[in-house]
Amino acid sequence: MKLKRRDIIVYTGLAGILAGALGVLLIVGPRWLTPPASEVAPPPTAPATARKIRARLLYVSEDGLHLSPVEQEVPYGEGAMEQARQIIEAQVAPPQAPLVSAIPPGTRVRTVFLTQKGEAYVDLSAELRANHPGGTANEILTAYTLVSALTMNIPAIKGVQILVDGKEIDTLAGHLDLRRPLEQDGRWISQ
Amino acid sequence: MYLLGPLLLASAVSGQAPTTGASLTILSREGRRPLPVVDVQGHQMAGLDDLSNLFQLTIREDSAANAVTVSYKTRTVVLTPDQSLASMSGGRLISLPAPLTRQGRRWLVPVEFISRALAPMYDTRVEFRPASRLVVVGDVRVPRITAQYEDSGGTLRITFEITPKAAPVITQDQNRLLLRVEADALDALFPPPPSQNGVMTAIRAVEPNTIVIELGPRFASYRTSTPVSSGAAAAIAIDLVTTAAPVAAAPVASVPEPPAVPATPLPVFGAPRPSIRTIVIDAGHGGDDPGVKGASGLTEKDVTLAVARRLRSTIENRLGIRVLMTRDDDARIDADARVSMANNNKADLFVSLHANGSPRPSARGAAIFSLGLDKVEEDARRQSQANREVLPVYGGGSREFSLVEWELAQASHIEESTAFAALVEQRLKDTAGLAAVSIVTAPMRSLAGANMPAISFEMGYLSNPEDEKLLRSAEFQNGIALAVTDAIVALRDRLDHGQAVPAAQ
Repeated sequence: MKLKRRDIIVYTGLAGILAGALGVLLIVGPRWLTPPASEVAPPPTAPATARKIRARLLYVSEDGLHLSPVEQEVPYGEGAMEQARQIIEAQVAPPQAPLVSAIPPGTRVRTVFLTQKGEAYVDLSAELRANHPGGTANEILTAYTLVSALTMNIPAIKGVQILVDGKEIDTLAGHLDLRRPLEQDGRWISQ
Repeated sequence: MYLLGPLLLASAVSGQAPTTGASLTILSREGRRPLPVVDVQGHQMAGLDDLSNLFQLTIREDSAANAVTVSYKTRTVVLTPDQSLASMSGGRLISLPAPLTRQGRRWLVPVEFISRALAPMYDTRVEFRPASRLVVVGDVRVPRITAQYEDSGGTLRITFEITPKAAPVITQDQNRLLLRVEADALDALFPPPPSQNGVMTAIRAVEPNTIVIELGPRFASYRTSTPVSSGAAAAIAIDLVTTAAPVAAAPVASVPEPPAVPATPLPVFGAPRPSIRTIVIDAGHGGDDPGVKGASGLTEKDVTLAVARRLRSTIENRLGIRVLMTRDDDARIDADARVSMANNNKADLFVSLHANGSPRPSARGAAIFSLGLDKVEEDARRQSQANREVLPVYGGGSREFSLVEWELAQASHIEESTAFAALVEQRLKDTAGLAAVSIVTAPMRSLAGANMPAISFEMGYLSNPEDEKLLRSAEFQNGIALAVTDAIVALRDRLDHGQAVPAAQ
């Protein structure tokens, strides 16, 4: 009987310890499992300590025929390639009203890389084409949004090739030739 | 509307120009005025001082900004000496074939400035007609008149085409036939009469509205008929019958009864072959690729096919040129297959029809795209010029073809393509309802492989409700078809008469 009583006490103790450990896991665990927010893409309301640069991002002008540069804060990136990625991330993000973006909704950045010749390869998700509304002007504005966002902010970049799901594409919707890198073209930028 | 006095003074000053070219003629309610033109490095240029006097423009030179601002009322266009682009108020850019140039104390601009910058900002209509060197200002009736000859031995048929429609009154005055057209002036371009025909020695337009046909010693009688009449153009044929012909006994001036058995016109020996014999019309998109969709449901693939069919009918009826369509139903066609059709049929012109779309519904108007090259492609283009071969073509004869990479096929036709784009732009200015018309060069995928002059024509914005309404209307679609057909006539006239096609950019 004594043994049994002792067993009960031991089991009760073990159960208490287990319950306590479970409680700790449930309350504190999520914080361990989720990495700190600063290690992922910083949200717009990142702490004031996160380093930023001011970059000119491109949005569709009132006339619907040109792109207007708008200065915005963009997270700092270490090196040209990382900075290029941060700029494209900011450019592809849905704009705040009343700005209008020529990037189709739902488009995500897969990767951005640079070559030694000063060409940037911007690899975007399939939504860039799937959600594109079509039309030559639309295509020109979409393509030169990406081209201008990089060439206007990073002087080392001379041309931009757009990829979709890692592959080269002919066009976005049948008009503008995207088989080669596009250079900056000031005709599409409103003064 | 404008002043003549200062023009004479300005003309005297313009003696410093290196080469004085033929003047343009300004036609308005006030009469005819010359606009002196000088040739600078192959470009025809007019003085801003002359234009200022004629059109009441204000010229302001900003030496700090290295720019010249041309103003008319509240509208402006800014030109810079080293750029062929000009910036208009409202943010629109226009291209010119040459930059603003200084000549002594004068500023010169290419004559295309008149149609591309002056016309859009002017209160009344300003229409530049390069072929006849006319600038039509305001509400004056100046129909275009062309003539073609068919010599069948006993009869010389002269077919006049008059656009817009007007019926001439024909009278005989001894050894001349006079055609009086109800108009303020005539925009007439006549090829020289066939040599040694004996019934007609000369043809010319006499101010203000009469065409004079000088009759030769073999002339016996004449007949008139209206063989073709389509769209906005009127056609009238005059048969000049010779004394030796079997029908010489026909009564003089037996109007307008056509012959019971029409004589089959015989080809004129040694006549030059027409430069445009086959045209490919490409209705953009199709099948599961609808293109742009308008707010009220009109799709780009449907409107391009509708206009393509109207354009085919207009060209076939008016010009008798072979027309091929890349699609005549709702089918998806690969971009390269469209251009292949034009290349394989050795077409002389490729017209791709599209409707535009913008993220903002405010964008309106038409745009004519031709291929623009980057530096790498420009180098390749120069290389392609050397590699040419003569091959037989549809309808007999031959044509010179470039043996170049598919991707660079269009590179050697860029000047003709941009010139044709400018012709379409000019004709479209008359199309009712279009808010703006511009010509643009860009790396267009659909044009890169075309081995002939080629344009991609955006007829309006389906993202704009007013443009969508226009694009849906049969009247507007017919207007587009007529404007493009007029531009084809102008291009053909230039090529047939051996005139160099001026580069539009």
